[in-house]
This record gives sequence, C-alpha cells and structure tokens, in this order.
Amino acid sequence: MSTVTSIAALLLFPSGLFLLLSGLAYEWADRKLLAQFQNRVGPRWFQPLADVVKLLAKEEVAPDGVNGRLFVALPIIALAGALTAALYVPLFGLAPAFSFPGDLIVTLYLLSMLTLCMGIAGANTLDRFSLVGATRALTQLFSYEAPFLLALLGPALVAESWQISEIAAYANGRYLLLTQPIGFLVAIIGLMGKLELPPFDAPEAETEIVAGALTEYSGRGLALFRLGKGVEMVVGLTLVAAFYLGGVANPFAFLLKTLVLLLVMVVMQALMTRLRIDQTVGMWWRYGALLVLAQWLITILFHAISQVHLMG
Amino acid sequence: MQTDTQRERFTIPIGPQHPALKEPGHFRFSVDGEIVTGATVRLGYAHRGLEKLAEKQNWVQNIYLFERVCGICSHTHATAYCLGVERLAGVIAPPRAQAIRTLVCELERIHSHLLWLGVSAHEAGFDTLFMYSWRDRETVMDLLEALTGNRVNYSVNVLGGVKVDVTEEIAQAIYKGLDFLEERTHHYLQVVSSDASFLQRARGVGVMTRQQAEVMGVVGPTARASGVTRDIRIEAPYAAYADFPPQVIVDERGDLEARFVVRLKELLESYRLVREILARLPEGELTVRMPRRIKSGETVSRVEAPRGELFYFLKSNGTDTPVRVHARTPTICNMTSVVRLAVGHQLADVPLILAGIDPCFSCNDR
Repeated sequence: MSTVTSIAALLLFPSGLFLLLSGLAYEWADRKLLAQFQNRVGPRWFQPLADVVKLLAKEEVAPDGVNGRLFVALPIIALAGALTAALYVPLFGLAPAFSFPGDLIVTLYLLSMLTLCMGIAGANTLDRFSLVGATRALTQLFSYEAPFLLALLGPALVAESWQISEIAAYANGRYLLLTQPIGFLVAIIGLMGKLELPPFDAPEAETEIVAGALTEYSGRGLALFRLGKGVEMVVGLTLVAAFYLGGVANPFAFLLKTLVLLLVMVVMQALMTRLRIDQTVGMWWRYGALLVLAQWLITILFHAISQVHLMG
Repeated sequence: MQTDTQRERFTIPIGPQHPALKEPGHFRFSVDGEIVTGATVRLGYAHRGLEKLAEKQNWVQNIYLFERVCGICSHTHATAYCLGVERLAGVIAPPRAQAIRTLVCELERIHSHLLWLGVSAHEAGFDTLFMYSWRDRETVMDLLEALTGNRVNYSVNVLGGVKVDVTEEIAQAIYKGLDFLEERTHHYLQVVSSDASFLQRARGVGVMTRQQAEVMGVVGPTARASGVTRDIRIEAPYAAYADFPPQVIVDERGDLEARFVVRLKELLESYRLVREILARLPEGELTVRMPRRIKSGETVSRVEAPRGELFYFLKSNGTDTPVRVHARTPTICNMTSVVRLAVGHQLADVPLILAGIDPCFSCNDR
C-alpha cells in the first residue's frame, strides 16, 4: 500500500472522518430505534452531529483541582484508541487497513482505552459524582472485559488464528452464532457493557450521579468522548457481526448485519431496568464468565474430536 | 483527592439541583464505597410564604392561592381549604357539588399515581415504563381538561360548592378513558410484579416494617405499603366519600415493590370509584350561598391527598380574611423514612427509595 493511500485510509476512508460520521449515524439509529420502542418520536437524523458541532463550539471549562494536561489529553487518547482499533477491523465490508497475527488482542485492548480514559478522567477531578462514576466505570470494565474477550476468542479458536482478517475469512458464510450461541450472547451483552448502554449504564446513571465520570467535561472534551463512543459502537458491532453472523464481506452485508445487531441491543435496552453496579459484576462473573468458559470447553472438545477424525 | 490522616467521610451532595430531583431539596449522603452510611435532608428551597400571604387576602382569593401550593394535587388542597372554611361558616355544600369534588379528587389521584409511576420507573432506570405510563397519563389529563377546562390547577372548587358540572357527554368520555386506563393499569401491575430486571431493583429494597412506619408517622400509600391501614377517606370521610367509600389497599411487605403494587391497585380502586360516582351522581344545585365574613373560630380539615394525609388548620376572627391558615402536607411526614431507610442501602437504591414516598417538595415548603 502506498503512503498516499495509507494516509487516506487513516484520515478519510474507511477510518478517520468517514468512521466518525458513521459512528454518529449509528448513535442516531440507536437513539431513534429506542425512541420508537418507547413510543417517542426520537431525534432527527442530524441530531448527534449537531450535538457534536455545538459542543466543539463551546468553551471547555477545566475545573479547579484537575491536572490540566491530563484533562485535555484524555479525550484525545480515548478517541485515538477507538480510531486505531478501527484500522484492524473489516469495516464497511472492506479488508482491514492493517493486519498482523495477534491483532485481535491489540484491537480489544485499544477498545478498552476509551473506558480506561473515562475512568482516569473521572478520577482526575474532585467532583464526587465523577469519582463515583469513575469507580463504577472501572469496576464494570473489570467485570465484562474478560468474558467479552473470551467470547471473541471463541471464533478465533475454531479459525485457529488470532488475526482478525483470517478469522473473518474463516467465519465468512459460517454462522458461528449457531455453533457458539453462548459466545454470541456474551459478546453482544459485553458490547453493551462496553458502550455503557442501559441496563449497564450504572457508571453514568443520571438519577444518581448526574453524568458519572464525565460530569465535569464540557465542550471539546465531551464531544471527543462522545465521538469515541460512536466509533467504538461501529467497531464493536463490526467485530461481532464479522465473527458470529457469517461475516461482512460486502458493504450491504455489513450494513444489514450490524443493524440487526443494533436492533437486538436496542430491544434489550428498552426491556431492562438499570442494574446496580454490584448486580452487574455479579452477573458477569457468576454467569457470563462461567458460561463462556463452558462454551470454550465444548468448542475445544469438538475441535479436538474433529481433528482426530480428520487424521483417522 | 488528598488523603487526610483523619478519616474523612466521603459525602455525596444531592441537590438542590440534581437530575434525580424534579424539585429542589438537598440531601447529603455519606458513603462507604457504594453503601450509604448516613443521610441528612434539608428542605425549604421552594418556600413561597403562602401561609403568610393568605392572611392578607380574603377567603375567596385564598382558594386560588392554595390551589397553587402544589401542581399535582392542587384540587386536593383547594378541597381541604374549602371544606374547612365551609365548616367554619356552618355551611354544607350540596350533595351534587360534594360528589363532583370527590370525582375530581379521584381523577386527580389517577393522574398523580400515573405520574409517580413514570418518575419512579425513571429513577430505577426503566425508561420504557416511564414513557408508556406518561403517554397513558395524557388520557386522564385530557379528561380533566374536558371536565374543568384546565390540565392543572383545575379551579373546580368555590366556597359552598363547585363551578363545573358533569354533562352526559363528559361522563361518557370518562367511562371510555377509564376503560383504556384500567386495561393499561392491569398490564403495569403485571410488569412491576413479574419483570425480573425490574424486581431486582425493587423487591426487598427499602423495606419499612409496619412498626417503623407507625413510629415514623408515615402516611398515605407509603404507609399502606407497610401494612398500616390508614386512609382519611375511610377514617374521617369528607366530601362524598361517606356515600362512595373506597377500599383500603394494604400490602404487608413494605418494600419498594409493595409501594408500586399499592399505588397501582389504588388506581384500579379509583377507576371503580369514579364509575360509581358517575353512575349515582346526585341531582341538584351546585352551590349554596356563602357569607362573605366567616364566623370566628378555628377548625381542622383533613383530606387524603394522592400522597397521604393533607392537613389544614384554619382560624377566623369574623372578618373576610383568615387569621391563620396552616397546611401540612404528606411529604414532611414521609421524609424521615427516606433518611432512615437510605442508610445501609446502595447509593443506586437511594433515588428509588426517595421516589418511593412520592415526594413533593414545593407542596411541603409552601
């Protein structure tokens, strides 16, 4: 790949600007669908973009007692993490911009950057709501992270590769959703936890702690965090769709499958009451982690048996 | 945060401005991690000096004043006030007027309980129930508007009677609206008592025993959800409640789920009452003559607001203005229970425990 196309891939398409806009589009779809389920009208199509533009135009107030440099840097790091993760993912049905063996692990950790940055951002301020929100965000990170990782490693196991492009190629046309249903379930619920969507929105439960870790953020910082969340939504949906829903080989399949996934997530958002943070942690470690481990065991056993058959 | 050698308590201030509070109030919760270890409350942010103002206005003007104590139970306030003044003057409003007062009281209870259902669901993080219950609440708001001309502050009462009449057309509209609401309420009752994700936030949370409820002097649906049989409509029937007695809904469990169940069952009871009043509405005049000056004396007027017992004290010296009007609202009776019950619970449960008493700060601060 020549330098020019590389830069274009980074800044414009498929990563960069286009990804930011599609993140906003998915955020809109999420909000609009949720509104429909709740018998509301919902936002207009440009509302997320308008919010970001407005936030960018606003003054960013750094409160007393924060580390100023950290306060400014954290949103940028968070967004950068999400955007970098996008480079290794088959976005919009195209091949990943970059690929190397083991990039699955790197991508998953890059995706956690956002939550980590939000946690640090909350802990950086003196605001009580932010501190509680940060504690909750990080607690939640520790509860869903391992099951989510294991759920995405399930397909890697059968594909015998930890490289996203290879797993995606293996999963193309194979609906692993049918052979690894638990893994799929954990992956999609884990993604909701990652995005702090209801019922996993305890870290930003407005009726308790206002806006959680981001309470003190306004203007640019808040806009960047929100953009990062939109990007993470697209990347996460792409990963789950590519691994479990028979691949995203072309843009049409990409759009269809990610939107179906989004619909599933919206239905869960509409149906459930917010979980307390102790309930979230309990649920993940008591059920999520154990179930996905059981799934692993079954997958490994089947794999071993089929290998023996092949050799025999 | 700076670490102090002295163990400083980590307090979370909630209010006067906070998304969990729809009205101003100030709470300080000291927490250990997520567990609340202490709670204090400060009220009075919405004090408007209404009681003092009442001493400068005449008896008639004060109806409009006390209707505006609360935006949700305004008719209940006006009814309590009017009944008290009528008792001082030795006047009894005609039966049809009393029945219409009762009718509007019950319609108002329906609107208040549906509003509460939405607010509480939102505090719990169950926005779908919030949106649906408020959509359905519009039905009763429309009925109230058709009946009285206003969505809030209905202005139904005058001294010595009421100023709106129930026509056949409106009665039919109310029957129709209630049929819809009854069906919805049965559905919500099923949701709050069977939805697993909702129940893990409500069942067994914020338990107030019957003894605690009696000691703290809790009133209204909050008390009835703890097994206390206390309802002014039965204990001291006012307006037309003697002719149309409601059934007291009691639940022994005392947790948040019980408070949801009690209020929803009270809705069903209100639907029954409204239908009964419409079916047996007495004929006759709407008002009787009231003297402009009220005989000197003092009296107490108690009514059952949607949130519990509403208490009015009135004192007259024989002129056309009162000497003293005092209103005590149910929120002040129930507020102690919030501070008491919050301790030992998770921070996440606090908004729901607060919403469980259906607080009305502006009412309370007057």
